[in-house]
Formats: sequence, C-alpha cells, structure tokens
Amino acid sequence: MSTNLQRAHREPASMKPRAVESVAGTTMKTVAGAMIVLGAIAFGLALMRGDAAIAWEAYLVNLLYFLGVAQGAVVASAAFYLTQAKWGGSTPYRLGEAFAPFLWVGFFLFFGLYFGRSLIFPWVTHPIAQKAAWLNTPFLFARDGIGLGVMAAASFAFIRVSRSDGARAWTIATDEIELPPHSIRVLAPLVAVLFAAVYSLIAFDLVMSLAPVWRSTLFGWYFFAGCFWSGLAAMALTAAVLRGRLGANNLFTNPTVMHDFGKMVFAFSVFWIYLLFAQYIVIWYGDLPVETFFIVQRVHHMPWSPLSVACLVLIWLIPFTALMSVRAKKTPVILGAVAALGLAGMWLERYVLVVPSLSLDAIPFGVTQFLMSIGFLGAFLISAVPGLNRVAQAATSGEPVGDDAE
Amino acid sequence: MSTIAIISSFADETQCAQAIDELRAAQVGDFNTFSPIPSHKIEHAIGRSKSPVRWLVLAGGISGVLTGLAITIGTTFEWRLNAGGRPLLSWPPFIVICFELMVLLGGIFGFFGVLMLSGVPTSVMAPGYDGRFGEDRFGIVVRCDEAEAARVESVLKESGAEEVVREDEAQPR
Repeated sequence: MSTNLQRAHREPASMKPRAVESVAGTTMKTVAGAMIVLGAIAFGLALMRGDAAIAWEAYLVNLLYFLGVAQGAVVASAAFYLTQAKWGGSTPYRLGEAFAPFLWVGFFLFFGLYFGRSLIFPWVTHPIAQKAAWLNTPFLFARDGIGLGVMAAASFAFIRVSRSDGARAWTIATDEIELPPHSIRVLAPLVAVLFAAVYSLIAFDLVMSLAPVWRSTLFGWYFFAGCFWSGLAAMALTAAVLRGRLGANNLFTNPTVMHDFGKMVFAFSVFWIYLLFAQYIVIWYGDLPVETFFIVQRVHHMPWSPLSVACLVLIWLIPFTALMSVRAKKTPVILGAVAALGLAGMWLERYVLVVPSLSLDAIPFGVTQFLMSIGFLGAFLISAVPGLNRVAQAATSGEPVGDDAE
Repeated sequence: MSTIAIISSFADETQCAQAIDELRAAQVGDFNTFSPIPSHKIEHAIGRSKSPVRWLVLAGGISGVLTGLAITIGTTFEWRLNAGGRPLLSWPPFIVICFELMVLLGGIFGFFGVLMLSGVPTSVMAPGYDGRFGEDRFGIVVRCDEAEAARVESVLKESGAEEVVREDEAQPR
C-alpha cells in the first residue's frame, strides 16, 4: 500500500524531464495566424463596404460556436472529476483543458458585439416595453460580460489545480488515492454549475433575444447541452488525429480509451436530440403562434428547412447509426469522421439558430462569412497550441491507465 | 479412475479470471464458475461468445414499436378526432408512445430472456455451489479425473485461491 502511494507520487516528478512530444509548433501557429489575418481583413472590408449586418451575424455565430466548444471541453474535464473517471489516466483531462485559452479570447470578443448591437439585437432599435427591464444594452452587456468573465476565471482556477501533481497523481493511481485534492472537489462542481447558469443566460440573451417575442424555457439547457457535446466531439476528433501523430504506444492507440470517447460522443448526441424533441413536442402541442413561428420558419420554410434537416442528420442520425457498434467506436477513422461531421453540424445548428431571426428568407452566406469563420477557427487553434502539447506529453508518458477502462 | 470435483474459492475477481485462463491452458477437466457480481473479466476468461439475449431485446424493441404504431394509428382511425386542425396522423406524439413501448417490451424481453437462458429459477442446485458464491467470493468447481486432481489443485492455489477442497471434504452450508 505505502509503496504504491509512493510510486504514484513519485511518477509525475520523474516524468517531467522527458522530451516534450510537440504536435503543435511553429507551422500550426503560422497557419492559424494567417487564418486570423484573413478573417480580420474580411470583417474589416465588410464593415467598410456597408455589409455590416452580415459581418456581425457571422461574428455572433462563430463566437457562440467556438466559445461553446472551448467551454464544453473544460466542463467535460470537470465532469471526469465528478464521475471519478480514471479510464485514460490524466490524458482526457488535459484534452478537455486544451482549448481553454479561447475562453479569454471569447470573453474579449464578446464586448465587440457592443459595436454591432443595433444590427443584431432587434430590441435595440425597436424596444419592447414589457421586456425593457431585461432587454436593454447596459444590463445585457454587464450581466453577460460578468458571466463570461467569472466562467473563464473559474475554468482557469480549475485547470490550474487540475494540472497540479496532486490531481495528476489521483488520475493515474488505480486504487490507492481515494479522492482528488480538496480544491478540485470544490472547483469541478463549481465549473459545472456555473456552466449551466452562464450558458443558459448566453442562450437567452444572445440567441433567443434575436427573436425577442419567442420563448422556450428549455432553450438554455438545450443550448449548453449542445456546447457540451461539441466539446466532447472536439476531444474525440483531436484524439483520433493525434493517435496517428504521436508514434507507437501513445494512449490513443489503446482501443478501450477510444471506445470510451466513442461512448460519450454517442450518448450526448442522443441527449441533445432528446432535449430538442422535448422542446419541440411542447411547442407542437401548445400550437401557439408566438411559440411555433420560430420552428416553422426553420423547419418548414425554404431556404432554412434543408439546413435544419442537415443539423439533425449530422448531430444525431450519423453519430447514432455509425457509432452504434463497439467496433466502430474503437475505429479512430470512423470516430474521427463522425466527430468532424458533428462539429460541422453543430456550427450549422448555431447558424440556423441565429441567422433566420435576422435574415428571414435568404441565406446570407458568402465569402465574408466563410473567411470570418476561418479567422475564428484560427484564433481557436492558436489558443489550443500549448494545451495540445500538454496532451501529447500526457498521452506519450506511458502512465498507467485506470482499472475501469472497459 | 473416477471423476471427482474440486471446489475452490477466490476473494479477487482478477485472480479468479487468471485461474480460469490457466485451467483452460492446461486443458484439465470441465469446470463451472460462480460469481457474486457480473464480471467482465471472468466473462472474457471463460471465452464464451456474446449472449443471444441481445437479439431477444431487439425483437422486444421492434415488437414494442409495432405495438405503439398499432395503438396510435388504430385508435386514431377508430375515433377520428380533429385536434386543432392538425393532420389526423400526427407523428410527434406517436414517437413518444412508440419509444416508451419499445423500452418497455425491450426491457421485459431482456428480463425474461436472461431468466430463460440462465435457467433461473431452478430447484436443482449446480454441483459444488456454496452460499458464499452468492455473497463475497468467486468460485471455480473443476470436475476432473482423480489422476489430474493434484495438478488442478496446484494451478488453483498458484492463482491465489483462498481455499481448495475436494467435493467429499466440502461441508454443505
């Protein structure tokens, strides 16, 4: 017993001198930097040309999407502590935390919306008297700004402890250390609860308020469940990509670990459609025009209906059918492809939630929106560089993997 | 040469699975395993193919969906009720009924499938069964020739068996 304890505590220190496996280096930074420049130029040109409305729409869609992926992945790491997950040692935790620096990027980009507020929030130019106490510019930016700031600060406090030797020793110890450090046991549930509160607020304020007469109580939950799933899909995709790049015997070559990633992508895809259907059926039964118009426009009217169907196919139908068998979950090509399609589907879902409220019967997608999305992706990737290198280090450290990998 | 039974008990599932592996490698006699919990490790060690119970669950699930469709569509045509001008056959609420019946019948088929395939309940106790195998111990009962008994006993002991006894010595509990 005592020897096991000593071994578990000694290992982190003895592993540090190992050469860092670098997967994200100068090339990735250069490419990501170029993507950011392209996006910024497209955004600037659109503003100068007088296409400000479509530029701000693309800004909002991408902000929501990439914040959701980054935050969802951090919450996945917190969820691993809450469920005492030891199926992959410390690597799944590092993977969930890898995209976190984008949380601060997103926090600052959020305030950029202030300059586009009259173009994206209909209630700025046409205030709704009954809702003015909630939907007004100073209060919205104050509460959402504080929410995103607290969320990012809590996430970083959590990540700092999660990367400490004490937490790491717990993740790779099979039985001998019963609980993770005390501060993790405070911060992990805090991050999870804050996530539910802040991302519900973001959903109500930045998506629902674009169609200010529409309401659905479940919408916040639905929105952050989608964020959580997109975080898991990003982790599964990263695992599938890194598997081939980290040489022999990295953690991702372990089929039971890939099986576990596959199970999560499968399960939370089903959870997403469950919440979607739970909202749909209530609105369908009630049949109140003030509630149904939001769905009718997106599901039954052109040009939006094919996009809505595509979301269902990419986020639910493909993961559900393709990942049903154990063998598919353990095959990185299948898991990676499903996760990549799912991430595209989740971007499309954010687009279909936001844009039809602002542009009723046309899909305003062109070069500007494409380049701006590329720019946001670049910012997301460049934020992930240090985190990905930590993932590579953990996955190649050869640390013992917990007993419950099944 | 007469056939005898050797009863061994284990406190640890890993050791039990290891003993099964070695017994299979040594190819001595025929054995039966008792486990107080469902154990994937022991399942792997025994090397039996997947249980057919999943096909029963699938059959139950499909019959549940069909029952759901029959109830919803059947009653709709039996009582043509115009609900707020919606189409007569409206799929959103039907999904709920079909889903719930799929879960219900799938679960019932699974439950009775497990009972049927595992031969439970039964009035005949498997030879060598000990009450502890239903509490906190894993058990392996090997039936082999008397000549091989010593070898079997040593395999079991080396794998970490707490107790290895021959049937005639075992005290019924």
